[in-house]
Amino acid sequence: MTLAHYARIWFTSARYSIVRTLMFRGDFFIWALVELFWMTVNILMVSVIYAHTKTVAGWTKYEMLLLVGTSMLIQRFLMGFFWSSIFEMGRNIRSGNFDFFMAQPGNIMFMATTRKLDPDSLINSLVALSVVAYSAHQLGLHPSLLDLALYVFLIFCGVVIHYSVLVLCISAAFWITSAQGIEGSYFTLSEFSRLPRQAFVGVAKFAFVWALPMVVVSNIPAQVLLHGATPQAIAWILGITVAWFATAAITFHRGLRRYASASS
Amino acid sequence: MLATLTKYAAAFNVGLQSNLVYRVNFAVRGFFSFFHLVVVFILWSSAYSGNAAIGGYSFAQTFTYFVALIVVQFMIGAFNEDYQISEEIRNGLINQFLLKPVNYFAYRFSIYVSARLVTGLLILLPVVVTYPLLKDYLAVPHDWWRLALGLPALAMSALIQFGIAYCFGMLSFWLLEIQGMVILSMALESVLGGQIFPLDLLPDWLFRISQYLPYYYQMYFPVAIFTGRLNDPAAIISGLGIQACWAVAILMIGQFLWTRGLRLHTAVGG
Repeated sequence: MTLAHYARIWFTSARYSIVRTLMFRGDFFIWALVELFWMTVNILMVSVIYAHTKTVAGWTKYEMLLLVGTSMLIQRFLMGFFWSSIFEMGRNIRSGNFDFFMAQPGNIMFMATTRKLDPDSLINSLVALSVVAYSAHQLGLHPSLLDLALYVFLIFCGVVIHYSVLVLCISAAFWITSAQGIEGSYFTLSEFSRLPRQAFVGVAKFAFVWALPMVVVSNIPAQVLLHGATPQAIAWILGITVAWFATAAITFHRGLRRYASASS
Repeated sequence: MLATLTKYAAAFNVGLQSNLVYRVNFAVRGFFSFFHLVVVFILWSSAYSGNAAIGGYSFAQTFTYFVALIVVQFMIGAFNEDYQISEEIRNGLINQFLLKPVNYFAYRFSIYVSARLVTGLLILLPVVVTYPLLKDYLAVPHDWWRLALGLPALAMSALIQFGIAYCFGMLSFWLLEIQGMVILSMALESVLGGQIFPLDLLPDWLFRISQYLPYYYQMYFPVAIFTGRLNDPAAIISGLGIQACWAVAILMIGQFLWTRGLRLHTAVGG
């Protein structure tokens, strides 16, 4: 199947999701508000901490807000493009409704993880972007066009990495069918993405900066805006993007072999 | 009287058994809470580096606050009671209670108490196991009066927690879907209940306002008594008074919603 064919399938799904959202406008409004509230909670936390201290791990208030905004931006895109589909995937594997995707003409991982769009999250990505822009303005940053392009590219890599981690977490349902609430593991990991890399020392640095991707995924794009890009940092992100996506794809397809329809 | 107690004791027993069956769910939540505590530790220890005190409290005092918060959440937090009540209303399962001499609130509350008894006792296990690791970062006050005032505050917090969840569940008489509103309220509760940061770090005027809201008494109040963030017994006693008023008000709202909701309820099949 060609890329154009997949693009056509994706646009059809996106159109369906948008029509559905227009049918349930109240729902859209409530969920957009939910996400906005939670983003405000994170910003409020930064404000309160910085009302009592000047720096956290060497990061000033607006540098920290830029980091939190970047982390929120990646997460909003993940939520907007993939969350509903991947969350339902776990439930479908348990209930046997996953059969529906097995019968579709296309890559099963693509079909199962891109079916639904959440316009409420996508709208809120504008709020996250505003937080980044406001912080950059407060810091008096004037990033070059290349830095901005790199930032956009790193955000894309970040979404791919978050997507891979989420697929990995939910794929656990192929093995442990009773694992309800397993999606919580992703949210727990994503909490780390709002922390500065320099705050991690010792075992925590090894586990959360080197082994798991969440911290670097938000820290490196933020640092590109703050201090410019370094080839090592870009190579690091590229490397882990490929590695985590490959791990997710392999695990998903391994899990698929265990899937036994309604009895799984 | 005895017959009434036996009736709800049976509900309590069923709740106890079903919660013991779902031990894995508890383990999963406990595991996530541990990672949340790691995030709290890293963030606040970085904030404290170069500051001996924040808001007048040492790092050990603030970290103790967050550890106590997690323990108290497992002891009294209403996790999914609102969702369960909503499901029972939507699926028509409440019909059976309308035909029997069983008070629905008392029935649900018995199940809530049994569930929190299980999770509240189980959470003490990881705390005891990790205590040798944590003890250098903890500062637990030993005043006896904290227990005398903190326990009633904890009991009333449980009532407020359950009462708010019950009210949200009752909304299912009017709304098809309450999940969005519950999560919206959860964001408000987590900030104004002191789960994101200790409320005393808020600007003074905002902290004063928060003391008149129910969220303050949902979690922050008992935790602050136990961990030494509230130190004036007279102020705590007046806080207990406000807390009691909120508990009564929320229970009354719950009762009002139940009576009004039942007028709209249509029992089909069952």
